[in-house]
Amino acid sequence: MLGKYSKHSKILTLFIIMISVFMVISIFLPGKFLTIRNFQSMFSQIPEFGLLAIAVMLAMLTGGIDLSIVATANLAGIVAALILTKYTFPQIGVYEELFTIILAIASALTVSLICGFLNGILVAYVGVPAILATLGTMGLFSGIAIIITKGYGIIGFPEKFLFIGSGIILLIPVPMIIFILCALVAVLILNKTTFGFSVYMLGSNPISARFSGINNESILVKTYMMSGLFAGLASIIMISRVNSIREGYGSVYLLQAILVCVLGGVDPSGGSGSIFGLIMGIITLQVLQSGFNILSFSPFFKKVIWGLILILVMVINFYSAKLSQKSIKRLKTN
Amino acid sequence: MVKNNRSLRIQKLLKQNELYLFLVIIVYSIFITSLNSSFLSLENLFDLSKSSAGMGIMAIGVFIVLLSGGIDISFTAIAISGQYIAANVLIASGVDNIFFAFFISCLVGVALGAINGLLISQFKIPTLITTLGTASVFHGALLTIVGTKAINSAQLPDCFKAFGAKDVLILTKPNGVNYGLSIFIIIFIVLAILTWLILKYTMLGRGIYAIGGDINAAERSGFNVAKIQFFIYCYVGFLAGIAGVLHISLIRYSNPTYLVGTELSVIAAVVLGGSRITGGSGTIIGTIMGVAMVTILNNSLILVGLSSYWHNFFVGLIIVISVSITSYQSKRSIGNIVFRR
Repeated sequence: MLGKYSKHSKILTLFIIMISVFMVISIFLPGKFLTIRNFQSMFSQIPEFGLLAIAVMLAMLTGGIDLSIVATANLAGIVAALILTKYTFPQIGVYEELFTIILAIASALTVSLICGFLNGILVAYVGVPAILATLGTMGLFSGIAIIITKGYGIIGFPEKFLFIGSGIILLIPVPMIIFILCALVAVLILNKTTFGFSVYMLGSNPISARFSGINNESILVKTYMMSGLFAGLASIIMISRVNSIREGYGSVYLLQAILVCVLGGVDPSGGSGSIFGLIMGIITLQVLQSGFNILSFSPFFKKVIWGLILILVMVINFYSAKLSQKSIKRLKTN
Repeated sequence: MVKNNRSLRIQKLLKQNELYLFLVIIVYSIFITSLNSSFLSLENLFDLSKSSAGMGIMAIGVFIVLLSGGIDISFTAIAISGQYIAANVLIASGVDNIFFAFFISCLVGVALGAINGLLISQFKIPTLITTLGTASVFHGALLTIVGTKAINSAQLPDCFKAFGAKDVLILTKPNGVNYGLSIFIIIFIVLAILTWLILKYTMLGRGIYAIGGDINAAERSGFNVAKIQFFIYCYVGFLAGIAGVLHISLIRYSNPTYLVGTELSVIAAVVLGGSRITGGSGTIIGTIMGVAMVTILNNSLILVGLSSYWHNFFVGLIIVISVSITSYQSKRSIGNIVFRR
């Protein structure tokens, strides 16, 4: 009963924060924030970043973390880009072109699944702490990406592929549609399947999860593979939106993805957090981001603010956890 | 009895990571020397030790943090802040004294480290998230408030250049050219011994091991966990401040975007040296050997015929392989019933 109440109050707090940030920005930047163009640009940035945030969240739910998401996305994007640029040329037929695009996407997703699989094996079977395992694979994946590209960028993809990143169907940008579908799938998996339930159980207490018959290792490997897959999806949207890829693209997303998870109420020690909370966190961050862009803050100053917000949220969480502990005690004594 | 004792000691030695690491370093060095005979020359070894002293000092800091069961990725941001602020203060004040530079840099380092320590010990924020946030804040603030302009060799106060060129031991090659052992290595050794003494002979040091072993048990057995954690991050800041001054004296140039991004190599060196992130185990000797291994590897990539593009890949590979070995060993020795994160 109490658990349910506190869960709702967490979502409510997030909702209030989101609305108030939105209001403050709208009031202080009249005529600049509430424009269709600004909203379109916000909508185009949310998907790739949101998918990466879901990837981090999945790992966090199990009590781990995935620092390799951006490196995974880069590697997957580079593989897709190589296929796209090698096998498409002007005289190619429509079907061949479509086939190449599908092949590129499939290989990017396969690469990202393999990256996730490696993380999962290291964390689950070898027993490496998730921070170090994914820190190591982050270096490994970005290293492979550098070796493949020699640090150069790959540019110029076929017109049809660019539709994924910049197309619009019924006034909604295609990346947004992909993101909403993926988020729905994630919600279904986490809330309606045995696997999702096991992830939460494993995250809140791995030992009791083991004793209640859950195969912790297999759940962990699957979770990190899913996390990799979301990073791969993000990479496809990313390379198609900017029509290029280079090792190091989107490296700011790592801090922001972790920030959004924490902001969205995901517990870094595992076991709690929801996609709805995460999405509210993403919207809050994006509103702030676009406000900063309108105010033309320097990227360095933005770095300061992101770091400050991350720490501030953690401090607030510390106090709210303390408060709720006190109220539980009071309920018990009454 | 004596024989038994000796075989026990040999058995203990065989279980240590350091021994294997030492053998790997020797074998690899011989291999590199067979490709390029100048590798194992005293001159080259002096050069390597000079250029890796800064990294070694930062590695000592990371080692202590890992020992206590935490992780710090903000130390490079602290080092560059200390270095850049110290250089700017020296230029602005006109004081041309290396001790003053060390003082400013360490002051900045300890202050920034104290922020980390405060957040971790008082608010119980996970160390990774804290230092991820503060690294962003420190570096962003440095670039926003102090500036983004690089300090070139002409503007640089002379004391840095003099300090960078200072040798404690000067030898002469057969062809009459002098080469020497830099003072950097002495600073590194002093700090390594100081840290070893703290860890081995003070209650504070035993507390660091205790926290790393089990934070709740440490608290119950009377260690002041908050105080010890606060000390750890201040000390890391202090070491980063020193490393910052060594770095500027070595390259005679200061760019506020340097150093940040090299965290991975340093962490790789420390975990290669056998420290476990789950805490409670690891030695200074192992850390030094880890630094030596990473330095040799970095400097020999081109000799082996691989371009510098391979650098990231190898650093990642080193981390993955070495943490896999130590984690797998501990997992087996503890048994499979309790699942370790």
